[in-house]
Amino acid sequence: MRALIAATTGLVLAFALVLTITAMGSPMGKTSPKPLLTTVPAHP
Amino acid sequence: MRRKASLILLALAVFFTALSPLLRWYAFPRLAKIPANQYQDMVLEAKNATLLDYGTMQAKTVPKVTIVQTLKGDVDAAKKIDKTAGRDVVVWDGLSYVQGPDGKMVSSIPERYIFDAHTQDPVHATGEMVDGDPVKRDGIEFKWPFLTQKRDYEYFDAQTRTTNPIHYKGTENFRGVKVYYFEQTIPWTKVPFPKTMPVKGITPESVAKTGTTRWYTTVRKFWVEPVTGAPVYGEELHKEELRGGTLLGDRAKVTAFAGDVKMREDYIKHTVALVKSNRTLVLLMVSYLPWGFLTLGLLLLALSLYLEARSRRPGDPAPTEVQEPEPVTA
Repeated sequence: MRALIAATTGLVLAFALVLTITAMGSPMGKTSPKPLLTTVPAHP
Repeated sequence: MRRKASLILLALAVFFTALSPLLRWYAFPRLAKIPANQYQDMVLEAKNATLLDYGTMQAKTVPKVTIVQTLKGDVDAAKKIDKTAGRDVVVWDGLSYVQGPDGKMVSSIPERYIFDAHTQDPVHATGEMVDGDPVKRDGIEFKWPFLTQKRDYEYFDAQTRTTNPIHYKGTENFRGVKVYYFEQTIPWTKVPFPKTMPVKGITPESVAKTGTTRWYTTVRKFWVEPVTGAPVYGEELHKEELRGGTLLGDRAKVTAFAGDVKMREDYIKHTVALVKSNRTLVLLMVSYLPWGFLTLGLLLLALSLYLEARSRRPGDPAPTEVQEPEPVTA
């Protein structure tokens, strides 16, 4: 019985971690202020 | 004590074992995406190209034609479309600026490309366009999806405004990177004149009145790193002709541009380094971490079972149980 509780705890924690990380996602940031280029850049 | 340790190890074993498939098949498809605020530029060159001199209407060989391609993510537009589309969207505003050997503009074609940030599937929304003309893409453009497969893809051609297959032609090694080679041939097709023409006073409308038409063909080649779906190198055998009409006098056609367009060397080096670094990040999620967690989970499980077995060894003193005194019968 205690083994079952330990295994379930591990499983629940794994799901909780993955669901939390994916729900948080990543910030979209802001549009770059750099222009669309009409000159040839010297380097990347 | 051993009993307790084995139970903790069992919980950890299940945690890491479960994390392995969850990370690969649940988290990765949701976390791996093109950032909405991406900005990137690319320089391509066609050496010893043929270019039309609009002053004399004669084609001539020039030492170099340069194409500057910029892609810029519009975050505000992406947020708006996110809400209506119900998924993560990237809006790329692009500009293909072509410059002659004298530094003067040859053509300048803007476009807006809207696509799913995770799958690169095209998303249709107001504003999707090429050179001001509304278009509907049915395929990818510029980039392949993460975990690119060895198969043909549908690829959008901005000149013809059509989507056509781009064929997988084999696996190669490009500067130490395993890449999939894709090729697409667009046959001679009548295409619109750019809205911005190289000579002041000449507009697409004024050219159309002369009866002259613009035709284009290309062989498009991409070497794509399959884990990230990012092209590390690209080439185009690009030809354009003006045909018929009074603009050409008694000639049936004249070459407007012909050249083998290739990425500039410093941009190739930069792209290869960038793709190698991004490849490691993607591999971390689809391979390194899932396999690492699975291995760790199995090791912890084995350790847990070992401790459990030791705690039950017959040689060890059995745990003392408090026995209740039996009732004595008189």
